[in-house]
Amino acid sequence: MKNLICHSFAVAVLAAGVSLNVLADPPVSQVDFGKLAMPGNGGEFVEIQVNSNLLSLAAKLVEKQQPDAARLLRGVQLVRVNVVGLTDENRDELTKHVRQIRHDLDAQGWDRNVNVRQKDGEDVGVYTKTRGGESLAGLVITVIEPKDEIVLVNIVGDIKPEQVAALGEGLNIKPLEKIGEVLKK
Amino acid sequence: MNPSPLPPTVRPPAKRLWLWCILAVLLPPVVIAVAVLSCFHLSSDTKALRNSLIKSSGVEWRQRIALNVGDLKLSVARAGLSFVHLDAGARAALQSVRGAEVGVYQLPSGAKSPDHATLLAAADAAMTARGWDRVVGVMDGQDLVAVYLPDKIASVRRMKCCLTVLDGQEMVVISARANLEPLLKYALAQPDIAARMRSLAHR
Repeated sequence: MKNLICHSFAVAVLAAGVSLNVLADPPVSQVDFGKLAMPGNGGEFVEIQVNSNLLSLAAKLVEKQQPDAARLLRGVQLVRVNVVGLTDENRDELTKHVRQIRHDLDAQGWDRNVNVRQKDGEDVGVYTKTRGGESLAGLVITVIEPKDEIVLVNIVGDIKPEQVAALGEGLNIKPLEKIGEVLKK
Repeated sequence: MNPSPLPPTVRPPAKRLWLWCILAVLLPPVVIAVAVLSCFHLSSDTKALRNSLIKSSGVEWRQRIALNVGDLKLSVARAGLSFVHLDAGARAALQSVRGAEVGVYQLPSGAKSPDHATLLAAADAAMTARGWDRVVGVMDGQDLVAVYLPDKIASVRRMKCCLTVLDGQEMVVISARANLEPLLKYALAQPDIAARMRSLAHR
């Protein structure tokens, strides 16, 4: 009987540990973009979220043929891409929202690597977070195209800005490919 | 002292033969009926996705078709088509699919197209509660696409996927189970994909 109680207690502690692990905080380089104002019916909205589960599966699939590509995919835990079309109703709110995200990232100690403002008004901000000053822990890209859309990208893992296009190409995520090309320029 | 038990009665063989005959006559139609009915019965996950979309739209949708093709039927199809010359891609796809369900629903004429953001939020809630994650969500004009994968993917040999496509007045709910190995082998053997993977690796 005593053994049974001990075993039950051990199982309960173990289960609690597992539950706590599941409920553990997300990685520091995972950014919550908050609620994005939808463009309403007729507007563009794209949300892609590829988690570590799927990324490691993709890495496993290509590791025999392309071990280097598999290594790149293994280094990433999460890829999140949001594209929201701008309309007269949501333009001001979304533009403000993206500027607030940038402000929060600055306040949270993210390094601003790139800040480009082009003639057509396109405004690109790239932020990175390092882990122990050696490898990258995460990457955030924010794009405001005042006439068309806003784009928000969060990649958790060891990935450099110049590898974003390659990752977008590998995962066939068009907005990521497009941003990657802009960053290369 | 207890009386000795009576010897067990033996049913006359003729009676058993009749029983087998009745079974032989009745069983095939019952099996066929069950198989046919199962073709029009969607699984619980697909139903949950469909119901969440229909309920949140607040409109009565008309079902046009609901089909469920399981592994057994697909195995028969694979066996039958093994003698037919097929394109390598089509054969790889046929070998990959282990089951598929499709439901097609239509808005009644004159009904206003429902708010896509509301539909997506309702579908997300229903699927997340059942252990599915949305991987892709696209809203563009009259179109809405949402793709869900299980939050735990055990193996590439047993992949499941649920998706919905809303195109103005028509909604399609699809669920598929597949072993992706044959399809991926085929895809990785394609020269353009191999080249893309090489360029990815070299960057």
